[in-house]
Amino acid sequence: MAIIKAEKTTARPAPLFETSVIGWLHKNLFSSAFNTLLTGFMLYIIYLTVSGVFVWGFADATYVAKNRRECYDNSLTGACWAGVIHWLDNIFYGRYPRDQIWRINFGGLLLVLWMAPLWMSRVKGKVLVGATVVVFYPFIAGYLFSGGDKGLFMQFTIAGAIVAFAINMANMITGQTKNLGLNVFLIQMLGQTKATDNAQRNILLLLTALAFGAAFVWQMGWTVEGITWTKWGGLFLTLVISGIGIASSLPGGIILALGRRSKLTVIRVLCVGFIEVFRSVPLITVLFMATTMFPLFMPEGFVLNKLAQVIIAVILFNACYMAETVRAGLQAIPKGQYEGAHTIGLGYWKMMGLIIMPQALKHMIPNIVGSFIGLLKDTTLVSIIGLFDILGMLRSISKDMPWIGLHKEPLVFGAILFFILCFSMSKYSRHLEVKLSAGERH
Amino acid sequence: MTDDTNEKPRARARPKEEFNFFQDQRVRSAFYQILTAGIFAWLVWYLISNTAHNLEVRGMNTGFGFVNSSAGFDTDFKLIDYTPGVGTYGRIFVIGVLNTLLVSFFAIILSTILGFFIGVLRLSNNWLVSKVALAYVEIFRNVPLLVQIVFWYIGVFSLLPSVKKTLDLTFGTEMLMLNNRGLYMATPILGNLFWLTPLALVFAIAGVIFLRRRAHKIQDQAGVRPNTFLPSLALLLLFPGTAFLATGMPLSWDMPTLQGFNFVGGTSVPPSFLALLVALSIYHAAQIAEAVRAGILSVNTGQSEAALSIGLKPYRVMSMVVIPQAMPAIVPPMISNWMNTVKNSSLGIAIGYSEVVSLFMQTALNQAGYAVEMVGMTMAFYMFVSLTISFFLNIYNKRVQLVER
Amino acid sequence: MSNEQTQGKLASAISSEVMIEVNNMNKWYGAFHVLKDIDLTVHKGERIVVCGPSGSGKSTLIRCINALEEHQEGDVIVDGIKLGKNLKNLDHIRTEVGMVFQNFNLFPHMTILENLILGPIWVRKMSKAEAIETAMMYLERVKIPEQADKYPGQMSGGQQQRVAIARSLCMNPKIMLFDEPTSALDPEMIKEVLDVMVELAGTGMTMIVVTHEMGFAKTIADRVIFMDEGDIVEQNKPAEFFENPQHERTKLFLSQIL
Repeated sequence: MAIIKAEKTTARPAPLFETSVIGWLHKNLFSSAFNTLLTGFMLYIIYLTVSGVFVWGFADATYVAKNRRECYDNSLTGACWAGVIHWLDNIFYGRYPRDQIWRINFGGLLLVLWMAPLWMSRVKGKVLVGATVVVFYPFIAGYLFSGGDKGLFMQFTIAGAIVAFAINMANMITGQTKNLGLNVFLIQMLGQTKATDNAQRNILLLLTALAFGAAFVWQMGWTVEGITWTKWGGLFLTLVISGIGIASSLPGGIILALGRRSKLTVIRVLCVGFIEVFRSVPLITVLFMATTMFPLFMPEGFVLNKLAQVIIAVILFNACYMAETVRAGLQAIPKGQYEGAHTIGLGYWKMMGLIIMPQALKHMIPNIVGSFIGLLKDTTLVSIIGLFDILGMLRSISKDMPWIGLHKEPLVFGAILFFILCFSMSKYSRHLEVKLSAGERH
Repeated sequence: MTDDTNEKPRARARPKEEFNFFQDQRVRSAFYQILTAGIFAWLVWYLISNTAHNLEVRGMNTGFGFVNSSAGFDTDFKLIDYTPGVGTYGRIFVIGVLNTLLVSFFAIILSTILGFFIGVLRLSNNWLVSKVALAYVEIFRNVPLLVQIVFWYIGVFSLLPSVKKTLDLTFGTEMLMLNNRGLYMATPILGNLFWLTPLALVFAIAGVIFLRRRAHKIQDQAGVRPNTFLPSLALLLLFPGTAFLATGMPLSWDMPTLQGFNFVGGTSVPPSFLALLVALSIYHAAQIAEAVRAGILSVNTGQSEAALSIGLKPYRVMSMVVIPQAMPAIVPPMISNWMNTVKNSSLGIAIGYSEVVSLFMQTALNQAGYAVEMVGMTMAFYMFVSLTISFFLNIYNKRVQLVER
Repeated sequence: MSNEQTQGKLASAISSEVMIEVNNMNKWYGAFHVLKDIDLTVHKGERIVVCGPSGSGKSTLIRCINALEEHQEGDVIVDGIKLGKNLKNLDHIRTEVGMVFQNFNLFPHMTILENLILGPIWVRKMSKAEAIETAMMYLERVKIPEQADKYPGQMSGGQQQRVAIARSLCMNPKIMLFDEPTSALDPEMIKEVLDVMVELAGTGMTMIVVTHEMGFAKTIADRVIFMDEGDIVEQNKPAEFFENPQHERTKLFLSQIL
């Protein structure tokens, strides 16, 4: 005998318990006597902490004052944020001359614009965009920030950077509006779509050369005031050191990782040795080594300023950690990829450059962002050897005459600043991880 | 067709390999290696010759002879005897190493305990508890360690009361005292027959092990497992306790007493040690908590479901099925975290704690030059610690590999 | 019924004792109504096959029976014990109800033998010798006694699933639940697992099997239940179920898989 249900049962809403706030509260916070006690205890602790912080940091705090005494006159139990506010320019820009700060802001804006196409889905040639940032941006940014007379080499690279940036922006526009790469667009504009590939390439090269010439002539007409690196400081200096650190350690890391996997013993031993040495010592020893031993390594008369020493040390140190990241990325590539490249006759470098690396880079990006976050935090160590990065600036506040002894407020401000920066970047990196692996089939 | 399948195939001479010198893989490989070695050797020679020249020009000394010459400065915290002007640089190095290891050792213990605790809290099914643990991890991971160290030193430990208003942490017995010069602890003075007490403890531990073995055997035979917790506890308390009382309580204390402006007697650790210890422990506990959480989550939920389905109680599910599978995922990051703790102890230089980097690399360097040797010795110390730790880690990894096809 | 079908079919062993009783049971995942007004009675020795499209709630149903999932409305009474918040009852249910999972869930850090004796020693409080004896007996029944000292990672999927069945049997359960036991296996290994399940059915074990293997259902089932979107749509003896489905949805489902 069959038992059948003739009518389909319509779905009913869940009992209030399951979906309502009360149900959620019960399940997650009050599910048992023990849990209820725990929740109560937690709430009490949270209340104590938050109210204490709130009273100190907001309710009783002084925001406007000319020195620490005035803060105290205003309120004894609150934070004296006035000191931090006074020093805000220094905290962000160091001792850069105030009327030249626009150069730093402009440099930052330039970077943002330059990298913007990487997030736009319709723009073509993203790899080239990334490459131009890494190759050209440092030169123009370096000149913007330090200024002074331009040598011929500098002039060439600045002109190149201007052209690269202009091409990048034009490409972005053609991509977003017409869904075409700039090269295709130009060829179409000039009505040369029927020309041979070689002819088309020559036309584009000619256009680029013309643009370069124009840029070169233009940049000859202006210079910016020279500012020594000793005036660089604060968040600006932190970003310069970590930015250069990450960008330059990536090629180094790739070479070291490839060397580590090499079948040639000498190369492998050298790479492994180098990586293991720098990974087993603390960064502060590498920084000390740089400041005490680099002057000894240099031939007579060749002087490397302290900032350059630190940057080189950071690049060396970080390249070893980057090598591990690259190694993990390479290991994630299935062996079949190497075999496939082999069967179509690609040599080692072509296989690496065309097949393996592009795939590995995709795996590595979240880790690279993580490395950058770590490097940002590690840069605080340069304050120990006398460079005035953001931590150095914050600690100087307590030595400034009007604000003597003001220790806690600058450090808390620094902690909050770093927290916001690092937390948002790590959230973004996790988002990237999900997005990048969503496209893969497992 | 003739049937010649029974004949053995005639052996043919091996075809001659064409040997093209420049295309041969072995030649190429040797060539590249010689080239690299050559470039490397030239680089090393170049650096060495520059260094030698520069040292000469500046009148700086080389060689390791300085290790035995006396150092003219003092450190504020040392674990072994040292007299300025008499003690050698070698001794200074040892003091620095001991200070580094001391703070690292305690920081590792504290951070591991705290880290496991917070990691388990992260997995609690009480929403509030897991979110508070999350807040802890995110806050202390995203603020640079150096900022945390400076904050603890300047923001907390400099607020400690002055010597005149010393805090007694042990409710009147004056055995643990805290002020802005440091933490003062009474040191035990061991009397004549004191050695009997630790001996009794050793016996007690042996007794506990014996009890557990016996319980296991009984379980194998009869299925029921006798309770070992209370008897073990009793053993551990009663044996050494009785020994101690029977020998007349041979323990007295060297108490820190206030004489003039300072405390004399007992042992003390400076505020910089305390600040560094607290900052390192809290920071690394956050990292370990994440490793613990990731390790436990890496165990497939099907495992705990299967264990529950054969009737195992939740405590046994955790201890017999989940944790053993989580440990191989937890231990390697935890051990590399311990290594990082040792390396991060070098940040004590920022608050004046005399660990090896601040003592040897910075202070001694300013005193006597010898840059290359001192930097080399310090880095060699860290490399030695790191290699030892990775060696043990490799052994552990090999032992816990799951057996697979 | 043709002669072939009666030849393959197992004799019924149903007694009158009620093993599982589900009354008007409803379950929600958050706001989603996943099991709707479920009524089910299972007698001792009865063998039930549950089939239906994915998302129909069939796995959720049997997971509610051994308390891996909670239900919000209605009763689930197993071996006379009503499932609820009482922890002692839950432990008792778990010892009497065995479960075999789609991905075996063997403990990879223990040998096969250790996997099997874990429950008997720590839950049934058997002595080690007794537990090993039981374990070896079941390993022989599933035809792999020589693998006792191997690790799960060294065995094929079919072998692992047979071990998983033996592991549940070592607890001497009164009811055995199977959640798509052959869905994760390569085709050539499905038969060896089904053979073990047929042999088990022949011993009079009360079984509920969620599966797509319709030949198996025809061989051993006393009753086939079809679920769709949280409802039990149709239940019948296998012969009539497959030859004469009554409901539209049953017909649609059968036309897609047969």
